[in-house]
Amino acid sequence: MLQAYWYMTKMRLLTSLAYRFEVFASVGTNLILMLASVFLWKAAYGGGTQQINALSLQDLTTYTVLSIMLASVFVCGVQDTIYYKIREGQIVTDFYRPIPLLACYLADDLGGMLSAMINKVIPLFVFAALFFGVPWPASLAGFLLFIPSCLLSYAILWLLSALIGLIAFWVMELGNMGMVKDSIVRVLSGSIVPLWFFPESVQTVSKFLPFQYTYQTPLGIYIGNIGIQDALAAMGVQFIWVALLFILLAACWKRTKSKTLIQGG
Amino acid sequence: MGSSIRHYFSVAACFARLAIQRQLEYPLFLFSWLLMIPIQYFSGIWMLKIIVDRFQPLNGWDFPELTFLYGLGLISHGIFVVFFINTWHIDRMVIEGAFDRLLLRPMNVFFQLVASYINFIGLIDCIPGIIIFIYGCQLVGFEWTLLNIIKLLLVLLGGVMIRAALFISLGTIAFWTKRNASMVGFTLSMLERGTMYPISIYPYAIQVLFTFILPIGFISFYPAAEFLNKSSEAFQLPLSFALATPVIGFACFFLSQWIFRFGMKSYESAGS
Repeated sequence: MLQAYWYMTKMRLLTSLAYRFEVFASVGTNLILMLASVFLWKAAYGGGTQQINALSLQDLTTYTVLSIMLASVFVCGVQDTIYYKIREGQIVTDFYRPIPLLACYLADDLGGMLSAMINKVIPLFVFAALFFGVPWPASLAGFLLFIPSCLLSYAILWLLSALIGLIAFWVMELGNMGMVKDSIVRVLSGSIVPLWFFPESVQTVSKFLPFQYTYQTPLGIYIGNIGIQDALAAMGVQFIWVALLFILLAACWKRTKSKTLIQGG
Repeated sequence: MGSSIRHYFSVAACFARLAIQRQLEYPLFLFSWLLMIPIQYFSGIWMLKIIVDRFQPLNGWDFPELTFLYGLGLISHGIFVVFFINTWHIDRMVIEGAFDRLLLRPMNVFFQLVASYINFIGLIDCIPGIIIFIYGCQLVGFEWTLLNIIKLLLVLLGGVMIRAALFISLGTIAFWTKRNASMVGFTLSMLERGTMYPISIYPYAIQVLFTFILPIGFISFYPAAEFLNKSSEAFQLPLSFALATPVIGFACFFLSQWIFRFGMKSYESAGS
């Protein structure tokens, strides 16, 4: 059983590694985003060494660099995969497989994630270290909590992505609803500007949404802005979101499967 | 000459009708763009506001001025994606052999390339652009005199030309490499960061790059600095910047046309 999943993960890993040119361009794009954001923060601090919301320029640089690395690692292709497979009618062959459909797609995304670790994160880390110094974590404990927190973040993002993907079963032509979701996540997750800087009212609302637990929580833990106690509490909330979204996905999946319509022949 | 121009117009109109029909075929597709584009750009300017409110003006650019700059950059992006979006897809046309079709027809190849897909969905990019720009104009107290309006139109024209020139040159690479889709994404994010933030926040080397080598700074930054009378910015050039943009735009555009024709010479059909 697990072997089947590992095979899919491995295939995805190998195909992603084959496209070198795409990788260079992707690293280049992320590098531009990274440089632009860091220089924006530099301009915002204006060469001063003051701290704003207890954050120094170095903290925010680390935050930005790590945020861009996480964004390239968190591969959530599932929404597009479902959409294309339904559009092309290929979803039927995936249903033939003796293993659950969504688990296949998860295995595929995990392969994408592994390859991104190798060919995107490492170059980005090297460039970031050259330009702005090595983005060290605030403490060892922070780093050790950062890793599981990232895994929970990925689970939240992936489940959201799968839920969006399921809409395709109902409407056939999903368009870019996935990108709509992505642009909301980008803002409300604090991946560009941490939510700590947002107006109070937005912060209050955001506490009850899953988004801030995807980027801000692990990154806040990494730079030490979220202490150990708070980190554990935040990870608890992350876990609750994973559980809720999982139940929601399972319920939706049950009802959606019967809606499957095969296009093309 | 007259009949030839009329012919080109009628072909463009025919292409446009087809493009509209294609784009209206999937309503949810249109709807998703209608949601995504405004979310993306309004949140972009909102985040600049958050940063400026919590910190300080960026290198002397306060929020009203940033809004003006952001809007100006976004409008030229919007106009560009309406008319020139097919320059992003040259690689696909080369691989699928669709480019052969253009070569067989007795018309200018570049004209066919851009006219065959007028992207009406791109007007959605213009909407947040115009709203943000007008809001920015209100905030900075922009004077809508005839001279200013003419300058503004010339700047927008030049800005669109600069963007088009960049993507045409980039698309030409596909004649050799057969693929450059990821380069398009790369250039898009560079353009976004280079036109919507003041380039004076970047290090000297990047400012030189964006002024003299890839003249992205002329799309929005230098014209905005001129309109807002911000004198102590990056580089002092002898010409009035608002006038320099269309000149540079046309120069780049003609250069890119030359590159495109040069690239076509090495085009070999990938179709079977």
